Amino acid sequence: MLFSFPVNLIAGIDITAGALSANKTRLDIVAQNIANAQTTRTIGGGPYQRQVVSFETELIRRVAGGGSSLQGVKIGAIANDRTPGQQVYNPQHPDATADGLVTMPNVNLSYEMVDLITASRAYEANLAVVKSARQMAMKALEIGR
Amino acid sequence: MTPIGPVPPLHAGTLQRIDAPLPKIALPTAPGTAAPTPGFGAMLDGLVATVDAKQQAAGALTRQVLLGDTDQLHQSVIAMQEAGVAFSMMVEVRNKLVESYQELMRMQV
Repeated sequence: MLFSFPVNLIAGIDITAGALSANKTRLDIVAQNIANAQTTRTIGGGPYQRQVVSFETELIRRVAGGGSSLQGVKIGAIANDRTPGQQVYNPQHPDATADGLVTMPNVNLSYEMVDLITASRAYEANLAVVKSARQMAMKALEIGR
Repeated sequence: MTPIGPVPPLHAGTLQRIDAPLPKIALPTAPGTAAPTPGFGAMLDGLVATVDAKQQAAGALTRQVLLGDTDQLHQSVIAMQEAGVAFSMMVEVRNKLVESYQELMRMQV
């Protein structure tokens, strides 16, 4: 093709898109944790275990744009939180042991709310980057006017 | 009062003689022998095609989101923004072209 745009017209948008995806996954995991805060029976047996997300950097090499490489982010691992769950005395519960104790999930709602707000704010920050990058591109187009 | 003297001769050396041979202007020997070079039209075609490809990609992403194939809403919106910026750039290029054309048409020959 005689004339072609670069892959990304808006600078650095692929990195921000990766960060948005990662934060969205974190939000999904928080939702899963909150939803399963009372789940005492899972496929693997035993109560639900809280899951935690860790991010890792991802090298994005841009060959066309001068060869500079930038570090994006992606989900590194989704691991189980190994903290033992709280044991409550509830003999009527179907998952209670012989002495009437039920092991509840190790989900702490306060932690989950903090994670929720953190993920939400991080998402907003990345959206602000998107907005600003787009404004920069549009301002650059106004040079010739 | 000084009398009018003889008129000094013209510096004929710097002037070009009328009967001197004119410098050759290269004319095409025969029309149609040179290969047609891709001009502005091809470039504009490429530009429009690229912008159209970006918009179609954005449309496909939006369609995927709406159909529930993916939940990457931000990818779709970012693709739409990018298509918008590409379109604006195309319009800017077109404005510049039309401006220079009009500038040429106003030129006094």
